[in-house]
Amino acid sequence: MKRGAFFIVSLAMVALLLSPSAWAANEIRLGFNIPLTGDNPDVGGSSRNAAEMYLKENPTVNVGGKSYKLKFIYEDNEYKPESAVKINTKLITEEEVLGIIGPQSSSQAVPAGEVANNMATPMISPWSTNPNTTLDRPYVFRGCFLDPFQGPVAANFATDELGAKKAAVIYDIAADYPKGLAENFKEAFEKLHGAGSVVAFESFTTGDKDFSAQMTNIVRTKADVLFIPQYYSEVPLIIRSAKEMGWTRDILGADAWGGGDLMGLCGDDCKGYYFSTHYAAAGAKGATKAFIDAYTAKYGKTPDDVAALTWDTIGLMVQAVKDTGGLSGKIKADRTKVKDALAAVKDFPGITGSMTFTPDGDPKKCAVIVQINDAGQFAFHKSVCPK
Amino acid sequence: MAETTELQQPKGVRGLIHRFYGGAPLLGILLGFLACTFWENIIGEALASVLLLPKMPILFGLVTMSKVFAGLFNLAIKGSPFELFTLIHVPMALIYFGVVYAVPLAIVVRLTVRPANAVARSLQQLPLIVTALVHLGFLYAIFHVWVELSDYRLITLKLTLIAVLLTLSLNIINGYMGEFSCSHPGFMAVGAYMSSFFTVGLFVNDKVLGEALLGIPLAFLSFPLALIFGGLCASLSALIVAIPSFRTRGDYLAIISLAFLFIVKSFFENMQSLGGARGIMGQPDWASLPVIFIVVVIGVWAINNFVNSTLGKALNAVRDDEMAADAMTVDTRKTKMVAFLFGAFWAGMAGGLLAHVLRFINPAMFGIQKLAEVLAMVYFGGLNSVYGSIVGAVSISLLGEVLRPLEILKWIFIPLLLILVMIYRPTGLVAFKEFNVRKSFGPKEVD
Repeated sequence: MKRGAFFIVSLAMVALLLSPSAWAANEIRLGFNIPLTGDNPDVGGSSRNAAEMYLKENPTVNVGGKSYKLKFIYEDNEYKPESAVKINTKLITEEEVLGIIGPQSSSQAVPAGEVANNMATPMISPWSTNPNTTLDRPYVFRGCFLDPFQGPVAANFATDELGAKKAAVIYDIAADYPKGLAENFKEAFEKLHGAGSVVAFESFTTGDKDFSAQMTNIVRTKADVLFIPQYYSEVPLIIRSAKEMGWTRDILGADAWGGGDLMGLCGDDCKGYYFSTHYAAAGAKGATKAFIDAYTAKYGKTPDDVAALTWDTIGLMVQAVKDTGGLSGKIKADRTKVKDALAAVKDFPGITGSMTFTPDGDPKKCAVIVQINDAGQFAFHKSVCPK
Repeated sequence: MAETTELQQPKGVRGLIHRFYGGAPLLGILLGFLACTFWENIIGEALASVLLLPKMPILFGLVTMSKVFAGLFNLAIKGSPFELFTLIHVPMALIYFGVVYAVPLAIVVRLTVRPANAVARSLQQLPLIVTALVHLGFLYAIFHVWVELSDYRLITLKLTLIAVLLTLSLNIINGYMGEFSCSHPGFMAVGAYMSSFFTVGLFVNDKVLGEALLGIPLAFLSFPLALIFGGLCASLSALIVAIPSFRTRGDYLAIISLAFLFIVKSFFENMQSLGGARGIMGQPDWASLPVIFIVVVIGVWAINNFVNSTLGKALNAVRDDEMAADAMTVDTRKTKMVAFLFGAFWAGMAGGLLAHVLRFINPAMFGIQKLAEVLAMVYFGGLNSVYGSIVGAVSISLLGEVLRPLEILKWIFIPLLLILVMIYRPTGLVAFKEFNVRKSFGPKEVD
């Protein structure tokens, strides 16, 4: 009997030594809440590509003189709010991650941010532009600029560089991002040129393929510039429709043009137009160029802005972990430490620009205006920084 | 003689389980599960580390195993690195399941057969409501102890319970009434929006809906009112679709109800005063487990009574042959209308609960994807059956969680399973089975 008890106890001790949970002290676990299946798998795919590349280049992190192994855990949120909430809970309680990257889209980032904040776990959404994601949530941050900043950037650019006095806008009323941005643009443009200077404010609904009715109105108003804050997959159809209806003037876009394969879908139709975005792939220098080259070599395509922003977000999180000056091994205390370090990050040198967080958890960073050149590349035109 | 009794008994593993648990009343089985959950609370953590598992298996070890298979799959397809060590998780998770659930359940159920039967027999003398409350009390206790170990379990359980209510409410229309209605996510959206409008509008300072109108400390007591308000609004919207469309049947009703779904979605997308495409967030955190449990239990009870009532039987008659039912003095129009509104009401309640669990809603949540999900639950579980809806909702929810690590393969596996079910059991797993409450609570005699 005694021998049996001894045997069991020693077995348990050996097991404890061998078990991964005993080693976990040397591991920094970051969770990814991304859509790998569902309506928008490309977004999740780009995020994972960037993350895998980061892990390959930086397999370990040095925090306070101790080396930790980085471990990334990818979970699929299916592009659904319910799943995003479930997964955030799972990552926090089951996987015991130190921090969370994602979700990318606002419709998942807003509810998931609530969970992360309630469970006191730092979360950075690389791509979510809805102000509510980070609002009043000290543990939630984001990696991109907001629409209230991007809208005026586009309006100022249209005024100063394109000499526009009258603008037209076409946007998807059923989607969060285009609608918000269209309204911000309108507000900024009318502030510059007086009420009524946005002469056409036409809307459609997600999935529409025919824009001729809206375009007829827009062309008739003789606006100087057309603003299209839409996703890359919708832009080509809209632009073609505009051209068919006889639109010859400038067209201005927003950062969602840069996600995915715009040029493959649009071809020559999109050349010569401008859009505001997070970074310019063509003519990039330094770390940005290194990232683009490495990504292109590895995956055979230019990184879209989701990939670039995810890369920066991981960098930010890791930087914050380093800045804590040492981890205690107690996950709850460490999470709070990381959050404090994130809030204190100053001028983080990201590939999409330098980042400093405002008290709301939003970064102060510059937008880039790119022009689609004749070779079909997004060439740097101008950088606009917040004042 | 011996042979005939053999033939009546199911054979194989099912027969074994049947023989083993057959004599135990529901009370005994509930007791067994309760013992398991307590047992897990005591030894779960230690056992997991002894078994070299990284963390306590959270959904009966199924997620742990599916993660290993996902790893193997990625190794085979993409050649991504795979830690051989993790292979050990599969047998270990099975052992964990055995030690924590299977064995204690068997022991407790076996040991308590006699006392549990005796208690069940004496409970049966009491009014049904008392018996039901005792059983539900046990069920709640199981849930309560089970979710204590992890918040992930809590959120999964909450969403599963809501799925049960939603599936059941759709089963009234698609199963009992025999129509193919596609408007259910629309009713759910109306319920979710209206109950959020009630709670957020009255009690929360919100940017979209403005300052809180009332600042009462006991505001959460009004939550049932908010849910019922949402449910009634969903019923009202069902009336809008019912009046013009009930002259049609079959495919045409399906198309009209699908159109209704799109109308609702577009309506909320364009209603700037309700947040538009961005939706409403910041619902008060009132949908706790007991609240959801009570609402779902009331829902199941009400729906079960409804389908077993004269009206429910009339509904079945309408499904089988509308003209014959009409000839037999069934008011077919009224019957269909009532059932449709009743189903919409509970869908609205489910929507209200969902809104307060996620504390965020937007119109995109209530689209075709949601429709496919609910329809899968109804047809997987079984038409015309309260049991079936519960089985369908629980198994699809659980499968969704368990197979998540498989990513895209999950969307091959689940539809494949659905196809197989449709081939071998065209009406679903447990279709056309009546839920006899009194009998299922009663004692079971051992020979």
